[in-house]
Amino acid sequence: MKILMICTEKLPVPPVLGGAIQTYISGILPHLSKAHDITVLGINDPSLPDQETIDGNRYVRVPGKIFEVYREEVISYLEANHFDLIHIFNRPRLVLPVRKAAPNSKITLSMHNDMFNPEKINPEEAKAAIDEVTNIVTVSDYIGNVIKSLYPQASSKIRTIYSGVDTNRFLPGSHSKMQKIRNELRKANGLENKTVILFAGRLSSNKGVDRLIRALPELSSKFKDLALVIVGSKWFSQNDVTDYVAYVRALAKKLPIPVVSTGFVAPSEIQNWFAAADLFVCTSIWQEPLARVHYEAMAAGLPIVTTARGGNPEVIRIRENGLVVENPEDPGCFTEKITEILSNRSLMKKWAKEAGNLPLAYMNGIE
Amino acid sequence: MALEVLEHYGFSVQDIQVVTTKPDKGGSIWKMETSSGPKSLKLLHRRPTRSMFSLGAQEYLVNVKEARVPPIVKTKDGRDYVEAGGKLWFVAEWIESLTPVSKDLEGAKHLCNALGEFHLLSKGYVPPQQAEVASRLYKWPATYEKVINKMDWFRNIANAYEEMPASPHLLNVLDQFEEQAKRSLEKLNESSYLELAQRGNEYWGLVHQDYGWSNGQMGSNGMWIIDLDGVAYDLPIRDLRKLITGTMADLYRWDTTWVREMIKSYHEANPISSQLYDILMIDLSGPNEFYKNIKEVLYEPELFLNDQTTTMIQTIVDTDQTKWPVLEEIKDDWKGIEQT
Repeated sequence: MKILMICTEKLPVPPVLGGAIQTYISGILPHLSKAHDITVLGINDPSLPDQETIDGNRYVRVPGKIFEVYREEVISYLEANHFDLIHIFNRPRLVLPVRKAAPNSKITLSMHNDMFNPEKINPEEAKAAIDEVTNIVTVSDYIGNVIKSLYPQASSKIRTIYSGVDTNRFLPGSHSKMQKIRNELRKANGLENKTVILFAGRLSSNKGVDRLIRALPELSSKFKDLALVIVGSKWFSQNDVTDYVAYVRALAKKLPIPVVSTGFVAPSEIQNWFAAADLFVCTSIWQEPLARVHYEAMAAGLPIVTTARGGNPEVIRIRENGLVVENPEDPGCFTEKITEILSNRSLMKKWAKEAGNLPLAYMNGIE
Repeated sequence: MALEVLEHYGFSVQDIQVVTTKPDKGGSIWKMETSSGPKSLKLLHRRPTRSMFSLGAQEYLVNVKEARVPPIVKTKDGRDYVEAGGKLWFVAEWIESLTPVSKDLEGAKHLCNALGEFHLLSKGYVPPQQAEVASRLYKWPATYEKVINKMDWFRNIANAYEEMPASPHLLNVLDQFEEQAKRSLEKLNESSYLELAQRGNEYWGLVHQDYGWSNGQMGSNGMWIIDLDGVAYDLPIRDLRKLITGTMADLYRWDTTWVREMIKSYHEANPISSQLYDILMIDLSGPNEFYKNIKEVLYEPELFLNDQTTTMIQTIVDTDQTKWPVLEEIKDDWKGIEQT
């Protein structure tokens, strides 16, 4: 089948500048291109050519960043090219213009966050867009349920397909490929003989890492060997330090345990930090669609503490691969759940083992 | 890089001097003597698409509304800016005659009147297509909430740095300012804010966002407004609120006459409806000065929480105590004023 994938106007594919949707697209292409003729339409970037073919997939890159600018580019591309199936990533507002330019193509949509909310798309346009698409896949039940509650008529078209992770890259620290990396990374950062708690994500208040930092004084009085690793790009930035980054830095400086902040880590190296850690904590306090880091932690065999927000708890099997914090506003709730895991190291190992088996199941759509 | 940028212009530069830099953000201003008179060169630190919004506004105010705002000098090929190093640069006329207004009530009234005129003239602005739309119109509740949340951050920092001299003083007063922040959000939610916001960006026009005693200056033919890089759509009285709170902080006390006269001077240029007056009262009731000055504690608490900050906190608390009788006295001034 001749398929066009239309990316968002924000970031380029492949994910040279990062981005969850961009990572997702690059992750699924090797699987899809085995059976289909794929063109990826996205925005241009100084580091990428405007047209190229890699591994049989054709990339077309046009001006974007501003939605209206990008939309016009998409339309003019479609006026000159025909596809059997057009898949639109996370932009319901592209559906009607795409339909107009491609009256006979099948259109599908994948939803990665709240772009169907009324402040993002006019309800009349949303309804018309839902009529035009054959299927809507969502990254979590949470995202699907929000759309269904806004637009019940979409219900029969919506299906959750959990995202996957590259299990050749994300491996447990005990795996033969990772042992050396784990040991070296721990040694280089003074983490030998430590129980390493890992946070990976944006340093913004809705991601809530401050709650974890505030839980640590009490945790470190119970467990003597703790260390915290924060993988987040803004930690060291000189320009545009946000108030939030300043706040978490100031809190971290006072912790009685080692805190390693990595600054920006290239997407291709991020798996090393998962392999070096012993416990993964997601602290999101907003209704998060379902953060990719959960899959990455699972593939790395880490027990997970996450929050009962958005889609995050959907991938946790309580006491099989992790625990869920019901009230993430309160640092004490993190103390409680992390204590439960750290108090029983043998259980931790058992969970880790089972956790390692999960992402493959998710990736293959078994769940 | 500045020299490369200047090659795009049709004048020759005889002298160029740095006026200010914003090292934390990466913006700069130069003053130039050129073959066609004095000009400014600016490097805008914001995203290019955001800067396009502001430059479009400056162009609109000068060309369509004939506002007293420095005209943008075009490049040889007729453009408003040059893109270099991932940022926008632009040249504007340097208005030589400008002098700051006097630091008294007369000066304050000039500033307020000019601000009202600026807001009035900015109504109807539509940004160029490639610009992003900068609007704070619907963001007030989120901004108020942010202030409430940050009060908790201040508390956590003061607790973590309890050995510092200002920490106990900060902890002592935090509850009272947090309470103010919560009350102003409640009042905002009960007000006609949303109804007003729904009138839309173009109806309200632009706020300057950085307006004060240096960005409004007297010229030979009236008040000029400069440094428009941060303009955004919003309810206009937010600029007025900032000007009033800042001016009262400079006086170390709130003064009914000053506040009344400032609002009146603004109103004469850009009429304030009674609904909008209520929003102004709510915005004045927030812990604005406390928040603005204490925010810095997040950056280097081990330096900031010193004896000087203890004194500053006391000054803010003392000034704040004079605010409430003033707000009480003027709260009904607009009762019975015709809705616009």
